[in-house]
Amino acid sequence: MTVANPKRPAPSAPRPYHFPRFERRRLDNGLSVWLVPLADSGLANVHLLFDAGAAAEDEAHGGVAALTAQLLVTGTARLDAGAFAEATERLGIEVSSESSWDSARGAFQALPQHVGKGLELLAEMVRQPRFDPAEFERLKAERLADILQARADAGRLADEMFLRNLYADSVAYRRSAAGTPETVSELVRDDVVSFHARQYAPDRAHLIVAGSFDTDALMRDAERLLGDWSGTSPGHRSIQPTRASGRRVVVVDRPGSVQSELRVGQIGIDRYDPRYFSASVMAALLGGVFGSRLNRRLREELGYTYGAHSTFDPRRAAGPFVARAAVQTEVTTDSIRELLGQLDGIRATAPDEAELREVKNYLIGVFPLRFETTGGVAAAIEPLAIYGLDDDYWQEYRGRIEAVTPDDTHAVANELITPDELLILLTGDASKLAAELREADFGPMEVVPAE
Amino acid sequence: MPHIPIERHQLDNGLRIVLSRDDSTPIVAVNLWYDVGSKHEQHGKTGFAHLFEHMMFQGSENVAKGEHFAQVQAAGGTLNATTWLDRTNYFETLPSHELELALWLEADRMGRLLPAMTQEKLDNQRDVVKNERRWAVDNQPYGTWDEKLQALIYPEGHPYHHSTIGSMEDLSAASLDDVSRFFATWYAPNNAVLTVAGDFEPQAALAAIERQFGPIPANAQLPGRPDMSVEPRIGQEIREVVHDRVPLPRVYVSYRMPTFGTDAWDALEVASDLLASGRASRLYRSLVRERQLAQDVTVFAFPMVGGASMFTLWATTRPGVDHEELEQALLGEIERLKTDGPSAEELERVRNLHAAGVESSLERLAERADRLSMYTVLFDAPEMINTEVSRYESVGAERVRAAMAETLRDDNRVVLTYLPADVPEPEAEAEVAALAGAETGEAMAQPVEAGGEEPAR
Repeated sequence: MTVANPKRPAPSAPRPYHFPRFERRRLDNGLSVWLVPLADSGLANVHLLFDAGAAAEDEAHGGVAALTAQLLVTGTARLDAGAFAEATERLGIEVSSESSWDSARGAFQALPQHVGKGLELLAEMVRQPRFDPAEFERLKAERLADILQARADAGRLADEMFLRNLYADSVAYRRSAAGTPETVSELVRDDVVSFHARQYAPDRAHLIVAGSFDTDALMRDAERLLGDWSGTSPGHRSIQPTRASGRRVVVVDRPGSVQSELRVGQIGIDRYDPRYFSASVMAALLGGVFGSRLNRRLREELGYTYGAHSTFDPRRAAGPFVARAAVQTEVTTDSIRELLGQLDGIRATAPDEAELREVKNYLIGVFPLRFETTGGVAAAIEPLAIYGLDDDYWQEYRGRIEAVTPDDTHAVANELITPDELLILLTGDASKLAAELREADFGPMEVVPAE
Repeated sequence: MPHIPIERHQLDNGLRIVLSRDDSTPIVAVNLWYDVGSKHEQHGKTGFAHLFEHMMFQGSENVAKGEHFAQVQAAGGTLNATTWLDRTNYFETLPSHELELALWLEADRMGRLLPAMTQEKLDNQRDVVKNERRWAVDNQPYGTWDEKLQALIYPEGHPYHHSTIGSMEDLSAASLDDVSRFFATWYAPNNAVLTVAGDFEPQAALAAIERQFGPIPANAQLPGRPDMSVEPRIGQEIREVVHDRVPLPRVYVSYRMPTFGTDAWDALEVASDLLASGRASRLYRSLVRERQLAQDVTVFAFPMVGGASMFTLWATTRPGVDHEELEQALLGEIERLKTDGPSAEELERVRNLHAAGVESSLERLAERADRLSMYTVLFDAPEMINTEVSRYESVGAERVRAAMAETLRDDNRVVLTYLPADVPEPEAEAEVAALAGAETGEAMAQPVEAGGEEPAR
């Protein structure tokens, strides 16, 4: 063979990297403006956030927040759906509007020369939406059809059924932020109109602009386009996450499936939890990097899956913690056994320094890569705006990851992974799986249809 | 538009090098394209190029199994690899002071993979890839679309007749001998392009590249490119209906089109955007918004270089809509654009969207590096990265109409329709899936990745 270079090359001296400096201003009507100038960017990203996510709707109108956000791009009082699309796209701008549990966001990315005009159209969109009745009916029908499509997809079906079985009936988080067929089909145009009138107001809104733009011109535009907007929004309700039951196994029958989609987990943490950083490190060690315990065992040793992952989904209230993998039908039971074994393992002993070091180095080292794009920087401001995290959050981020110890990881695993609360859910072919799953006795088990 | 700086070099062993410096952030992207993809696979070996790509992460002489991922991630980097019809690419983005780590890892497996290969590793990754196929194709609504389209667009025996993921049967048959042969044939410095983009000092980077890759010998017997020639048109309309576990019918329409890199391909790329890019596009406006026949609509001109590429459209019906009506409406819009379009306003719209899209894509060093490698492997012309926008903007209405008239013809069309199956017998369903895998072959017009879904950052 050739002359080998057997040794890992030593790194050279690292160049320091800091999260871009930003400035926060406020219009008289309460609207916050976050300005993040980036000298090297050839683009600008504009995000306009409202406290108008699913947490701001009531359960009888589940999905109204999502439908409202989606409808915004279908035109303004002045421009119908086609004209609004023309006006924005001829500037090379694709305006998006979407919502999650905790916020709604209208946004676009543009070449610098089109930022002012884009902001004009974005402001018009959120202030004078058209809510065309025909567009309302169309998007509502699309949403219902999408739910149908999602249920045909094994992975999306498993996600939906996991939440439905995880949270108690009274908890909004048991369904998708986009609503259920039952609630969406009941929505009428007036629901959207009144949701918009109530929730889209300047006092809790945030305008984030990152990239290449002129600060003075941008502020003038913001004042002109959004400064004379008045009104206040009631904000969001508080959600009290409680679990549906103790440990149990739910098999969602999907006859003919060649794989089982596994979801194992429980209610996790909220975004304000002081254990956020230790939980993030623990989840990465368990299933957040390629060499994480779940992926190493289930994929690289056993070949049961294309990939295994674990994540927290922190929101204003506690979102789910879930470990997931799509495994071939024949090894479903053993995969669950292995997965539970990894959850036991991370509870049993603290990770050694070297294993923790690798994961922390990843989370710390990857920091500048996350903010390589203008959109990445704009998105990074969002949690500060939505959750009120400290302005020095990103300055402190790497230090807080670094401070997580093996004992912290061990402690948080024991606090947040509790075997008698685990929901073990899978979509798969019950005719092939039910008997051996009963025999394995992972917990009280039920088989439900994929409806 | 950004001007991407380009500096070219070549090592004595034939490795072509593209350097593109940008020190705005202390990160660097390393990207290697090997001029080998699933089109190079022999009969009975479908899926092997991709399985081999997985084996490239199983260690090499000085790198243990799993260490490639572990080292790069522990250095704060991201990485993956993908296999497609025309090529296999491997890439890392990492803090710039760890540049040589990525070079060393890539060089060790380019030069010294085989000492680390074992039957156990092959068996493991074979299982992983089979699960990738189950996940992406067999257990996925509409998941077989691209293997079916390729099998219908290209004749038996053509290198694009099968797609990248491969059949279960062929994956089962892959052996360690195949690994050795494939490696010896294709994984040579004179069959690869290495791009480094981002924050680096050119002299130091070149020295490191020479140090790591210089000792690897060329393959003096590198095979020529496979014969990809094919009639420019199919010569008839081919129709197939698939009964599958899908809630809504979906219609795929696909044409044999000129290859990536030709003027006609550029014109058809513009046509694809006129048809379906954005909410003001013709198909979205007509089929989705106004007539409400479709739930969604997509058009894609694939960047394939061998013989003929594919121009593919698909649309999912709205509930209650007849799929034949949707198909007619889709074809009707194509005809209309061929005869009346496009207007100056429509061209302005897609050009501005395209320019903003290029600017946005090239913000990422990994994408910049990948395109530089691509243009070098496919055309020996990395500078094409700087003419993407001008090539697109040079396409006028007449070129769009002419290219559409040549390609989007009734006698050059495959129509593949997915219809909801009547409540299937579980056993019958499983058999159908197995049969599809064994007989018509393979999957994924999209590149197939090694690492699984990107881990959450």
